[in-house]
Amino acid sequence: MRDLEKIAALALFVAIAGAARGQTPGIDVRVVDRQGTPVADAVVVAVPADPNVRLPARLAQGNVVDQIDKQFVPRVQVVEVGTAVTFPNNDHVRHQVYSFSPARRFELPLYAGVPAKPILFDKPGIVVLGCNIHDWMIGYIYVSESPYFAKTRADGTAVLANLPPRAYVVRVWHPQMSVAEETTHKTVDVIPGPHANAAWTLELKPETGIRRAPAPGQGRGY
Amino acid sequence: MILFTVFGAPVRAEWLLDAAAAVKYDSNLTRAANGPDVRPGFAAALDASAGDFIAITGNDGVTLTAHARAESHVRYHGLDVAGIGGTAVYRHKFGVGWAAPWAALTVDGSYERYRSEIRDGASFDVRAEAGRRFTERVDALIGIACDRRYAPNERPEVPGIPGNPFALAGQRVYVQAGYALGEQWLFVLDAAIRRGDVESTSQQGAAVFAASSAIAEDPAFGDERLYAYRLRGTTATLGGTLSFALNDHASVDLRYRYASTRSPQSLEYRTSNVALLLAYRL
Repeated sequence: MRDLEKIAALALFVAIAGAARGQTPGIDVRVVDRQGTPVADAVVVAVPADPNVRLPARLAQGNVVDQIDKQFVPRVQVVEVGTAVTFPNNDHVRHQVYSFSPARRFELPLYAGVPAKPILFDKPGIVVLGCNIHDWMIGYIYVSESPYFAKTRADGTAVLANLPPRAYVVRVWHPQMSVAEETTHKTVDVIPGPHANAAWTLELKPETGIRRAPAPGQGRGY
Repeated sequence: MILFTVFGAPVRAEWLLDAAAAVKYDSNLTRAANGPDVRPGFAAALDASAGDFIAITGNDGVTLTAHARAESHVRYHGLDVAGIGGTAVYRHKFGVGWAAPWAALTVDGSYERYRSEIRDGASFDVRAEAGRRFTERVDALIGIACDRRYAPNERPEVPGIPGNPFALAGQRVYVQAGYALGEQWLFVLDAAIRRGDVESTSQQGAAVFAASSAIAEDPAFGDERLYAYRLRGTTATLGGTLSFALNDHASVDLRYRYASTRSPQSLEYRTSNVALLLAYRL
């Protein structure tokens, strides 16, 4: 009985300490590759384990995929399903952005500046972006069915913050991942107080995108 | 930069700058059929071009460039050359996406000045190409081309036979395929067959004399016994280039090319070329 009291007191202490630091319930995520190198731009999504839980809408923010120096910036963008994304072109040349992905097919005819209409992403999934002028340009929009998502920073870490305490199925996705996203599922219990931790070690494929550097026999121009 | 207007929409040009430095080895600079006439040699070369790519529509683009090149030979300075020129490329893409097939028409003109002035002159090359990227790793193209080189500095040696063996014309068909070995490595295989005029420098001989349509003394190799002959011939070329991307703008290429030319009178010469290039694109 005394042990139980001690455990309860410890849990209360941890919860109070967490609250005192202003920490809301959440999950600290770390993603590395097989060599232990931090993996940036990995998308982490948490979905309540109980399918009956109704998900709140997330405030739309930063739903932009720029084009800077003939690259998509950010290279990986995460949005919640139902979000509209704009594709401003900050280069001095024109781009023609397109996607053939089943989650969202679209084409923005050759343009400069900001296209008049954003593109609505109304189906969950991965949308691969390209530019019809500059074939090496590639970008990704991960359309999440859950409002609880994050993207790893250069140090391979991310924080899923403000999660209502409950059990979650958490998964990770990366453009170079060699296994299916479903195989990364982990169940994580989020409790009031300190963040839970979740870590993944991913097998990454080499990037074999179309290269931008000069290629033999390429000639001049595109 | 707004250059002009097509269908009422402003057309923005994209500034392009390419530069390459190379060291080259050629096993048969004379293009000679007989062993004693063969002169191998090393050279250093610089190549630069600047221009604009103009996307007229999402599927059509025009590239206009001015280019210059210089080549200096270690031993045979008569082959040292400086040249300037211009290239216009129109390219059409049949669809959207990197896998869409494309076709291009290229017109290239240049003027080259050699230390051995018999080689001086303008040259033109017109190419029609079609290609496709099959996967992110594999792409290929096929092309046909016509080339013409003028050599106004004639030096007739034999009465009744022109003295401009470097005035050449020919047609060729070629293919090229690229395979990305990884994030930075790329291997490109190319092959071509060209029919038309070729130039071969060798000592006087009955066979080469009978087959030639122009003859002149060739001072480039410092050997008074050597003459330049214009022949009709078919050249088969096979090459491979291994390219390593240093970053998004620069690559190092190691290129090997083998060519075999057959002319009438059973004249045949072979050349092997090796080049190490550093290429930069802005």
